[in-house]
Amino acid sequence: MDYRIQLAKRMLTNKKGSLIGAVLAVSIGILVIHVNFVIFQGLYDAIVRDLKDYRFGDILVTNEEDYIDKSDIGLINWFERNPYVVAATSRLDASASINATKLGKRTEEFRIPVVGVDPLRDTQASTIHNTVGDGQYVFARNSLVMGSRVARDLGGVEVGDNVKLKFVDRHGEDQLKRFVVTGITSSAGGQGLDGSVIVHIDTLRSILDRTDETGAILVKLNDPTKAEEIRDFFLRSFPSDDFKAETIEESAETTLSGFRSGIALINLIGYFGMMSSAFAIVTIQMMLVSNKTREIGIMRAIGAKRKDILLLFLFQGMIIGAIGAAAGTGLGLAYTFYAKETKMQFQGSLGLEVTYNWEKIGQTALTSFGLAIIASIYPAYRATRLLPVEAMRTV
Amino acid sequence: MNKTYGEGETAVHAIKDVSFSVKRGELLLIVGSSGSGKSTLLNMIGLLDRPTSGKIFLDGIETTTLNDNEISSFRNSKLGFVFQSANLLSDLTVLENVILPRKIQRTDENAVDEAKKLLRTVGLEKQMNNRANKISGGQAQRAAIARGLINSPSIVLADEPTGNLDSVTAEIIVQLMKSLVKKLGQTFIIVTHDKHQFSDVDRVITIKDGHAFEGEEQKGMEVAAS
Repeated sequence: MDYRIQLAKRMLTNKKGSLIGAVLAVSIGILVIHVNFVIFQGLYDAIVRDLKDYRFGDILVTNEEDYIDKSDIGLINWFERNPYVVAATSRLDASASINATKLGKRTEEFRIPVVGVDPLRDTQASTIHNTVGDGQYVFARNSLVMGSRVARDLGGVEVGDNVKLKFVDRHGEDQLKRFVVTGITSSAGGQGLDGSVIVHIDTLRSILDRTDETGAILVKLNDPTKAEEIRDFFLRSFPSDDFKAETIEESAETTLSGFRSGIALINLIGYFGMMSSAFAIVTIQMMLVSNKTREIGIMRAIGAKRKDILLLFLFQGMIIGAIGAAAGTGLGLAYTFYAKETKMQFQGSLGLEVTYNWEKIGQTALTSFGLAIIASIYPAYRATRLLPVEAMRTV
Repeated sequence: MNKTYGEGETAVHAIKDVSFSVKRGELLLIVGSSGSGKSTLLNMIGLLDRPTSGKIFLDGIETTTLNDNEISSFRNSKLGFVFQSANLLSDLTVLENVILPRKIQRTDENAVDEAKKLLRTVGLEKQMNNRANKISGGQAQRAAIARGLINSPSIVLADEPTGNLDSVTAEIIVQLMKSLVKKLGQTFIIVTHDKHQFSDVDRVITIKDGHAFEGEEQKGMEVAAS
């Protein structure tokens, strides 16, 4: 082993306090990055997951101009022939005024979004039915699943209550329809249809007089990485139709862009934290140079060159960086494992979607290691400037 | 050569027109009172400091024109140092300290065997695996002498090698250095303020107020260059 590495190792292990301090600085810097990633990226991924599972699917097909007038069953069958497609379903969106009468008292009328679903296919292509905690999903033509926020705003509507919805059909005429509330939907994190009501798609088509039309086709994949490929294949297969097909990132862009900026900012703060740990290493290394001034003078006196002294302290930085990066990464992975296994969530909000991003983990460790070396450059340079005669006079 | 610190009215002339030569295998004593300039002179001979004017030739090489890296290599291969307080690296064992100049030179094949032999010569065979900060002052000084000899230097420079030792230990060190001169034909230049510790040396140069005199101090005489 090069004597400089051996000496660097020996100097550090004989100054355990400084070594522990420097290693802690590096590893805490890495741990902060990991915790940020688990929480904020986990939150973002959970939101994407819920948006995908409840509202947009892996691919969302709509019409650029208007409603889809091609047979929805034909399109669904086309998708389901693809080996990467788990299921596809139709949806139709509208809005209506709603009011309810409870114990003889009529609540104030207000507008709400209405989502028409195919109850059989929808349970395969989405998981919105799992958010119905009270009652059951839409099955009958006059049944309605109400979002929890809507139920609250209507004065505490419950399963079994009647509600009246007023629509405006395609001809501009008012259409009134009474529904029975069969279920209340509530999603952790609120990415579901908590602010809407869900009805049978055929009921909605009939009300709006859009019998052969569909608002959107939701497609669920068994491999989300194939979304763009299947989207492009679909668009190439139907070139003359005015279809618009979007992946989850595209269809939820408005919702997600705000989160992405927030996450980027949080990550930046994390990296600033890591840079602070670099300053701690500079301080500790300067202290080590100061403590070893006499030894540096001796080494120079017996023939060590400035380059040897520089490398000695750079090797110390590498040792600190390597141990710190290993410790920090270990702690970070342990935290990630814990978050994943316990399906971590905060105060009953949506559970984090925790993943191991190996590229980011490796990048963080390498960045931290590099910063430890960079932080050692100035102290190492200062060490080389010491004159042997003066250095050896240091007590 | 001359060595001056500072400029103008505050200039301090530490060494003034000193000129002498040393033969191979010689034990040269440089004596003088505290502040006379003897350590400054030794530092210049050892290339730890540069003269303000003048030249230093070691083994026929003019050292005042060497750059920093060349000086470091020269110190490593041609010079051995024994300092007043031994100056071993406390993070290393006695053996590792002795080998260090060879590791710096990147010629560490057989270095361990040679170091062990030297440590036997100076009577530290049993302490070679002790950490340098776990041995006595006299043992450290002996280890420093062994370190100074590992590269078979042209000259070993010793600056007050017995300054921090008790009289008994100091006598041991003095006898050791004398025996090394006899046994190995090693050239020693020793700086001391107490010439009585070193009797039977080949030559004595006295430094007084920056000037050098051959032998005991003699008024008005300077050594001619040879």
